[in-house]
Amino acid sequence: MPSAVYIVGRGVISALGDDLSGNRQSLLQSQAGIKAITRLNTRYSEMLPAAEVPHTNEALAAMADMPVTTTRTALLSMIAAKEAFDSFQLPDKLNYRAGFISANTVGGMDKTEDFMKEFAVDTTKGKLHDVIHHDCGAATELVAEKLGITEVVTTISTACSSAANAMIYAARLIRNGYLDWAIAGGTDALSRFTINGFNSLMILDNELCRPFDDTRKGLNLGEGAGYVVLASEKIVAQLAQQPTVKLSGFANANDAFHQTASSPEGRGNFDAMSGALAEAGLQPADIDYINLHGTGTANNDSSEGIAISRLFGKDLPYLSSTKTYTGHTLAACGGIEAIYSTLAIEEGVVFPNLRFQHQMKELEFEPQICLLEGKEIRHVLSNSFGFGGNCTSLIFSKVNE
Amino acid sequence: MNKELYINGIGAISPQKTFDNSVFLEEVLSYSTNKMMCVDPDYSLFFDGRAIRRMSRILKFGIAAAMIAIEDAGKPELDAISTGTGFGCLEDSEIFLRNIVAENEGVVSPTPFIQSTHNTVSGQIALLLKCQKSNNTFSHKGFSFESALLDARLNALDYNVQQNFLVGSSDEVSTASYAIMSRMNIFRKEPCDNLAQLASSGKGVIAGEGAAYVVLGKAATENTYGRFVDVKMISNPKDEATIEKAIHAFLALHELSLKDVDIVISGLCGDESRDTLLKHCNEKVYTEQTIVGFKHLCGEYMTASSFAVWLGAKMLKTQQVPESVVLRNTARTPKTILIHNAYKTSHSLILLKQ
Repeated sequence: MPSAVYIVGRGVISALGDDLSGNRQSLLQSQAGIKAITRLNTRYSEMLPAAEVPHTNEALAAMADMPVTTTRTALLSMIAAKEAFDSFQLPDKLNYRAGFISANTVGGMDKTEDFMKEFAVDTTKGKLHDVIHHDCGAATELVAEKLGITEVVTTISTACSSAANAMIYAARLIRNGYLDWAIAGGTDALSRFTINGFNSLMILDNELCRPFDDTRKGLNLGEGAGYVVLASEKIVAQLAQQPTVKLSGFANANDAFHQTASSPEGRGNFDAMSGALAEAGLQPADIDYINLHGTGTANNDSSEGIAISRLFGKDLPYLSSTKTYTGHTLAACGGIEAIYSTLAIEEGVVFPNLRFQHQMKELEFEPQICLLEGKEIRHVLSNSFGFGGNCTSLIFSKVNE
Repeated sequence: MNKELYINGIGAISPQKTFDNSVFLEEVLSYSTNKMMCVDPDYSLFFDGRAIRRMSRILKFGIAAAMIAIEDAGKPELDAISTGTGFGCLEDSEIFLRNIVAENEGVVSPTPFIQSTHNTVSGQIALLLKCQKSNNTFSHKGFSFESALLDARLNALDYNVQQNFLVGSSDEVSTASYAIMSRMNIFRKEPCDNLAQLASSGKGVIAGEGAAYVVLGKAATENTYGRFVDVKMISNPKDEATIEKAIHAFLALHELSLKDVDIVISGLCGDESRDTLLKHCNEKVYTEQTIVGFKHLCGEYMTASSFAVWLGAKMLKTQQVPESVVLRNTARTPKTILIHNAYKTSHSLILLKQ
């Protein structure tokens, strides 16, 4: 068995709250963060609900201690990564080989699309400052520099599986001795680019999304960032407080079916989940809870559900989609949901799949609909599937299980 | 620890005629503008007519370069695909952004949005090959391709059963990116001859683009070009001592010292301010090596180092160092090659061996 990689720090910002405790509170109170859009300037603000982080860029810049001109993607990243960094209780942590493996889908698009309004009419117009951080790597660089991390700094962009793949990359770098610890996860800010993109594909619900419900019509977009700090056994041995959760298994697979749609049988989803189990040395029956990708689109939930049925049979763990709270935060969702998975293990809870009413015709199961507390949750499977056929599953386990 | 990977197939589409693996820079194209764009192969060999019309340039040259490498390697089954792209699919992003503005967020076609996603090239390769294995896309400035190479290296270290990995990168110059970066004064202002560019000192680079892929295998084949040993990324080295220390440490990790390195492929881009550290290394560190340049052939872009890997692999296999790339000749035969690239302040080292 390869050496384990431990979760030794966490940071998150989403529509549910500005930090871990805010997110935890909303989850336990079944408070969703999906509403009419108020911050982003878009014609769909009243038509398409989304899960915005309820702060202006000015407020986020103050929280992040960064210039107000910084892209929202980088601001969200900084706030969550800093919380993760600060929660990691290792003295002189920058004296070790540290990595920052981040993820996003559209980089600084929130600024580029403002630039494009003028540039589209006249290419000599538009403020250049608005596009200097357009590329995906820019947000990561800004945050890494501010945190003082240099050994391996990179960005993964595999659509909605991005943050999950960032965690895998960090874990493999640690296991193979390239790094001692790393902050890994993802960030994405809501933009007109993504709203219009998903809307053009007709996969946005104009009501609150209903993942795994037979009447589901699509997803709601969200924004945020989520990072875990991953560390080697050697680092963990030096910590005063021992971690309670480890990343025990993971797999990256491809559906190889269609650029944006999942295969009906969810073959990539199946490969990712079964690959993660194999990597962790676990059986399906060992999994106590599945944090679903569960976007609320007809296609995703059907493929994911069918693949789960095939892998788990009739003996299913608890299942829920926390996108019913946060919306689909794209490159950030794997990071945010990793943190929710660790909360489920630590606190013995299963967060409900909100607004569920009708079982899907093609499935023989329902997601968990009310908050469960006082449960023994040893192993959580977290799914992240995306465009380009990208399918990734992670398994988080209670330490000593 | 035999964790080295053999380069068993290569494919490159670039501003030079690199798509034909049977030749090696026998003809070098000169440009008198500050922009070099890919020389297209006959795409009908790779895609049907409808697909060609629908696909953006980066999709065509990215996927075709991968197909050339896979074909060259004898079409092995792939166990992982890793792609780097600094800017992703710029042309489709630009089209979609313009459509949003033009239609005031009204009805817009989803096609450019679908094709704008950074993982489109890697995903399309998986789709064409029906490859359900690990698929990664890295987008991190001058480390995009290097991160993908490191992904393959981790695969080699992690999984004894896995055998063949496709690794490469693609980046395109789009109308908007060229216009914007021109306004940022990134490109050469005066007319320039690309072939003389690295020798001349000036301000600004020549815009470049391209895609290059390699098939890396755990076992050598009849077609093996050489070995890919390891890659090291060095973020913002603050001074000469820092970069020198990193070079020595990287070589030492592989039980090598500078005298073992025959050829240095240097990422000089022709912009004085950007080239300072590389010039220092070429003059003071790589004193005994033959120094080779490549950005006069492909231009400057975030993933140009994949072109350097293509060049290094070709030199290892043919045992030739084409006159058109030599900046300083010390008559060393290409056995151990160190690629030292820099994109702005991101430096990287890639070690290749015969």
